[in-house]
Amino acid sequence: MPLESLLTVSNVFKNFGDVIALDGVSLEINSGEIVGLVGSNGAGKTTLLRLMSGVYRPSKGSVTLADGNQVHNMRNTLGVVPESTGLYSRLTAWENIRYHSRLYGVSDDISWKRTLKFAESLEMEDNLSRYTRGFSRGMRQKTALLRALAHGPRVLLLDEPTAGLDITSARTVRSLVKQVRNEGGTVIYSTHQLYEAQQVCDRIIIIHNGVIKADGSPDELMSTTDCSSLEEAYVHLTQEKARMRFEDKKSDGSLGKLWNKLFKPKLPQGINLQGVDEDE
Amino acid sequence: MSNSFHRVKTIAKKEVIEFVRDWRTIVAIIIIPILMFPVLFIVFPILLESEAAELDSRIIEIEVQGEQFPEQLIEQFNYSTTEITFQNITFNESLSIPGDDFDRVRNMELDAVLRLNKSGEIWYYSIIYLSTSEGSTEARSRIIESLINWEANLTEVKIVEGGLDVDSTLDPLRYDGDISKSDVATEGEQAGLILSLFIPLVLAIWTFSSAIQPSIDMTAGERERGTLEALLGLPCTRNELLMGKWLGVASITGVGVMLQIVGLLFAIGYLATSDFIGIPDLSAPAIILIIVSIMLFAIMVVALELALAMRSHSVKEAGSILGPAIILIIFPALFTQVINLDGIESFWFSIPVINVLLALRELLLDRVIIEHVLIWSLTSVFYAALAALYAARQFKREDIVTTLS
Repeated sequence: MPLESLLTVSNVFKNFGDVIALDGVSLEINSGEIVGLVGSNGAGKTTLLRLMSGVYRPSKGSVTLADGNQVHNMRNTLGVVPESTGLYSRLTAWENIRYHSRLYGVSDDISWKRTLKFAESLEMEDNLSRYTRGFSRGMRQKTALLRALAHGPRVLLLDEPTAGLDITSARTVRSLVKQVRNEGGTVIYSTHQLYEAQQVCDRIIIIHNGVIKADGSPDELMSTTDCSSLEEAYVHLTQEKARMRFEDKKSDGSLGKLWNKLFKPKLPQGINLQGVDEDE
Repeated sequence: MSNSFHRVKTIAKKEVIEFVRDWRTIVAIIIIPILMFPVLFIVFPILLESEAAELDSRIIEIEVQGEQFPEQLIEQFNYSTTEITFQNITFNESLSIPGDDFDRVRNMELDAVLRLNKSGEIWYYSIIYLSTSEGSTEARSRIIESLINWEANLTEVKIVEGGLDVDSTLDPLRYDGDISKSDVATEGEQAGLILSLFIPLVLAIWTFSSAIQPSIDMTAGERERGTLEALLGLPCTRNELLMGKWLGVASITGVGVMLQIVGLLFAIGYLATSDFIGIPDLSAPAIILIIVSIMLFAIMVVALELALAMRSHSVKEAGSILGPAIILIIFPALFTQVINLDGIESFWFSIPVINVLLALRELLLDRVIIEHVLIWSLTSVFYAALAALYAARQFKREDIVTTLS
């Protein structure tokens, strides 16, 4: 059965000042698949996820849902887990989940039922009434997942959901992601762990320096690059040197230049770091 | 209830719940300000009183120096708490030069020295004392009190010797009756005048300072903790987010400022006699306009603080901007207190911050002057709208999800 297209990214460019974070990205996300966004730090994964979640607007191009609506107008169809998890430490796990669900316009009863269902899979039932202040990284990640699922999203966007987790927690998260897919949900999964992407994702998109380098199943990626492992395929596709990131452009004004001139840390005299242009 | 209003209410409610669960902020914004004025106005005077009583009962050692020691002067001293010794000295230079007494007083062998010298009909005197010693300062006060009484006696004697009536000579001009009865201002108006001297100032400074912490926590704090990104992915607009946060900060600030004023009025009421500060005579329009002016001021201040905090990448950065920014309120607030309201030029009511503070002063005196009301209300709406627009602009920035960390 052909897969139904759910979300379309069409020729998207995203600039931050002079820095091009995404350079003409186009892709299509189909219903019921787990899509892995793989790339090194600064490749553009988070920027692409933020565009898909409607946090950012494209500088050029569009991110639309199947019905033609711009994604930022239809955010109630999405569930997002940012890299930082974004939990309020002075609220309990359930209060965190309920807060988001209410903003999605979902009643407490419905979100509670959905939360309980997934909390069981994540072994989080006993922690729902606890403040998130003392939660471990794994518990925080699981709470954020429950929060993203409580309103019944069609698409789940996960930004490095297993980063910093222990083996057991990471395994639980991966198994929940598969459970969501098996129940008909769609998951977009950003990671820089190739092993994890290979294990979880039906399809892998390799992004490098803001450009999509490859898009296909793990086997397809290996066969098109004529490599015996996904890691080799990745290295083959991303040989180009990674760019530097400049996110903070605040000091570009004349006052900023003067400030930098007066207070910018200087290297000790006689020391020259190869490849580092101090005035850059 | 519309979805938008529901979302704004949900955001505001969560902000307030999260805020009240942090006991440190509750102590800083609610408990300390409530207790500050009662402690300052009630406990502090009691402490001062007990210290003064202790000083009063202290035995003070005074040496009186000179060639003559007038009995009428010596009688003025209270011998139960003052030990007086006499030393016969002839002075050849100014009485104020301490000489040998410099070390004696500094080393506290004596609390003070009174020097007397009569030249013709005039008595000259000086007091050698140590201003940094409480005992010595007390000795000086007691000497001066005795000298004043003695001088009054000498003056009376001179008047009698001159064949004049003491009473009519010393007090030829007198007020007839009770001064307070001659004031045509009502008690309510007088109460309004007293309140107008500090309520606008207090409201302005407290509103600004109380809003700093919640504003930072709900914007730069969220940004730093990474909770803002998750929030921005939700189906609520940035304006709803701003409104919800504004409502949260305004609620917390409103309750905080109200409790602080209650604490202040309680302290004043406790200290003062019952008619020191009464209930001001305010007409219904004046009360309504007071509420409107405070609301417009709060809209402007809270929106501005949220905007400045949202511009910041971290809590530290926001604090270093909003902390000094309180000067923008303190100076106009102090300045407004000295502006004369009688015959005031209308343009004053169009200057930001000053306009609302002057309006409050006028309204507390129950002066509803239509021209002034129109100017301050329209300009306040304009400034509040500008601040809200600026805040909305900051909330719509894409880089608010990035953090320094």
